[in-house]
Amino acid sequence: MDNKCIRSILTVCVALLWAGLAFFAWIKTPEPSSDAERRTLAQMPAFSSENVLSGTFMTQFEEYTTDQFPFRQRFRQLKAEFHYNVLSQRDNNGIYLVDGIAAKLEYPLNDASVEHVLSVMNGVYDRYLAGSDCQVYQAVIPDKGYYLASENVYPAMDYTALMARMEQGLPWAVSIDLTDCLSAEDYYRTDTHWRQERLLSAAQRLCAAMEAVEPLPDDYTPTALDVPFYGVYYGQAAIPMEPETIYLMQSELLADCTVYNYETQQTANVYDMAKRSSKDLYDVYLSGASALLQIDNPNAATDRELVVFRDSFASSITPLLVQGYKTVTLVDLRYMTSSMLEQFIVFDDQDVLLLYSTLVLNNSNSLKG
Amino acid sequence: MLFSGIPFLFYFLPAVLILYFLVPSKLKNSVLLLCSLVFYAWGEPNYVLLMLVSILLYYSLGLGIGRTRFRCTFLTLSVIVGIGMLAIFKYADFFISSVNELTGTALPLLKLALPIGISFYTFQCMSYTIDVYRGHTAPQKNLIDFGTYVALFPQLIAGPIVRYVDVAQELRQRENRWSNIVEGLPRFLVGLGKKVLLANQFGLLTELFRSTSQPSVLFYWMYAIAFTLHIYFDFSGYSDMAIGLGRIFGFHFPENFDYPYLSGSITEFWRRWHMTLGGWFRDYVYIPLGGSRVSRGRWVINILIVWMLTGLWHGAAWNFVLWGLLYAAMLLLEKSIPGLKKLPGILRHGYVLLVTVLGFVLFNATDLTQAADDFAGLFGLSSLPAVTAETWYYLRSYAPLFVMGIIGATPVLKLLRQKLYAYPLGQKCLAVAEPAAMAVLLLICTAYLVDGSFNPFLYFRF
Repeated sequence: MDNKCIRSILTVCVALLWAGLAFFAWIKTPEPSSDAERRTLAQMPAFSSENVLSGTFMTQFEEYTTDQFPFRQRFRQLKAEFHYNVLSQRDNNGIYLVDGIAAKLEYPLNDASVEHVLSVMNGVYDRYLAGSDCQVYQAVIPDKGYYLASENVYPAMDYTALMARMEQGLPWAVSIDLTDCLSAEDYYRTDTHWRQERLLSAAQRLCAAMEAVEPLPDDYTPTALDVPFYGVYYGQAAIPMEPETIYLMQSELLADCTVYNYETQQTANVYDMAKRSSKDLYDVYLSGASALLQIDNPNAATDRELVVFRDSFASSITPLLVQGYKTVTLVDLRYMTSSMLEQFIVFDDQDVLLLYSTLVLNNSNSLKG
Repeated sequence: MLFSGIPFLFYFLPAVLILYFLVPSKLKNSVLLLCSLVFYAWGEPNYVLLMLVSILLYYSLGLGIGRTRFRCTFLTLSVIVGIGMLAIFKYADFFISSVNELTGTALPLLKLALPIGISFYTFQCMSYTIDVYRGHTAPQKNLIDFGTYVALFPQLIAGPIVRYVDVAQELRQRENRWSNIVEGLPRFLVGLGKKVLLANQFGLLTELFRSTSQPSVLFYWMYAIAFTLHIYFDFSGYSDMAIGLGRIFGFHFPENFDYPYLSGSITEFWRRWHMTLGGWFRDYVYIPLGGSRVSRGRWVINILIVWMLTGLWHGAAWNFVLWGLLYAAMLLLEKSIPGLKKLPGILRHGYVLLVTVLGFVLFNATDLTQAADDFAGLFGLSSLPAVTAETWYYLRSYAPLFVMGIIGATPVLKLLRQKLYAYPLGQKCLAVAEPAAMAVLLLICTAYLVDGSFNPFLYFRF
């Protein structure tokens, strides 16, 4: 067989590969959602003259064909591998890998976002805390980038400026520094969040500052969930990564605690095993995102109460703070406005902890005043 | 619809190919015309009527020029209509806002959306009637064939600017062989690779630069070079895809780029960059104005007119006019200082690259204020640091891509291929390796598109 013939046959094979992919794309049954990306996938848009003339049909069809392409996850992995290893790009879709730990480029510092947080928090203080006997504390939870970025020459937000601004902007709160209690290994490799079983130092730091009972290692039994955990960066990075294990810090005290959800008006345990089948396994901590929760600790040796203004990072550390309090109320102002709080909480002499991660502080547009 | 998009690659194109190769020869142009109108309507559902009117009008004008005594009138009409369409849809708001700024008036803007590809198909239509008038070709009597020429989707929205005389024969009769796919497919995939793997990545860096909060002098230069590579790979990639698609359908479109960044002079640069546009302005504007066979003063004016129009063709804004005039100035300088040709090659190449890079900074600015800011940043006049941590990061991240881009902008791979082809074993290896590389390219480009990567469309203002 001469070279021209070989070339022709092989080129026809390429054309057939192309045609095969096209054929698959045409006949493939659309999937409703992507587990890896944790989102719903675009569906075939409705065909109407109005949709076509406005161009909406075309835009939505493009999204549909991209979302529903056959072997989508494999192709995303191929792209990520090529991006990292051939083009030698240091991040893919803003996600970078350092020693098997995935993190997101989170920079620059969004001053407007930080000011928005301060405005919301000062509003809460003026409305509920000023003139009360509440003791107010604030702690910033550094994201993984704090430990990974600078050391590995990735751009990072100005964490020092952020923390200084929080301290300066909330003069009525005692600032608690958590940065030296944590390291990159204290976070899930595939997720934004921190690992509960490695948060004792941070919890002790918070309790010490609030003069509450500090959690001790012997108080808890780390128990592994039997479901593999694929964090949010697993899908975004699209690089094959080993799944992780979620550990729950179990104790008799926590087993007796109940969690009341004001939205659903239902009571659950601190660790919600029903969430083992959730797309985000991190939801086992306090049942995941919720506007307002109250943890009741019937075995508390004190009547002290704690109110935590929080984001999702608090879901895993709060159980470690519970033993020093009779009740712990968790407020997520991303899901409710602060003006509604007076219906549920009478601010009197509680400890109040403002506990936000740098990720939320730097992207706070969802925080409601 | 972009060539570098899933809907085109895996829905539209396969459907068109199936239809095209199934129908008998006499219906192939009808299929191409119909599919081209669908392709255009996908991006411009409202302006497809404008396209149809243009086809009908220029078809009639061509017949009028070829058959009647009023050929001069019809030609004038065709030029007026072409320029009028561009003036209304592309330049009206630019002129109105310029008048408003100059005189302090508040004339209302038309705010018409720019029909995609209007600059390309209008120029093709005008070249047709002018060539019919000049007797270079006979008028096309078949409306379907003429419509196919104007609307042919492979070159409709981003060129190359195909003249009617170049494809007149193939519109009438061309070989529709399956082997066309064997010849056209590799060229298309090379273009797709240029667009998706190189142009889009450089484009992403230019976007990152625009959104940075830590600009530096080095970042400005990285931006300038990245955009220079971005526009080359984007435009030449689209041209490759168009030429490859044309080949699949049996057409031979003209080449549009010939390694322009290797040029040793600006004159040479424009012989290698967007060759079909340069040729169009040469044959339909510069030479009719008298070209260089006029007095020196008139020649200078001719050069200025042609390059101002070239700049305006790329976009309705002052920075495009200045960009065109920059090249006019450089060309006049080169003609005036013959000694430039005797400079060492490295200096000549360096000078051309510097002018090209700075020219594209002007080209890509949203307005003259941004252009001035960009130049100040490039030359350290903005009190910026020489480098920031972010700049280092992107330099490290994009360094391999810059190397690939610079190699890709030279004929290194082409020469390597030629060397290998000189040996029988090399020929055998290439016969296997090139199709294999095409398959890999197809899969990787698909992977990038599926991941919803950055995939801008540069030609909206052309």
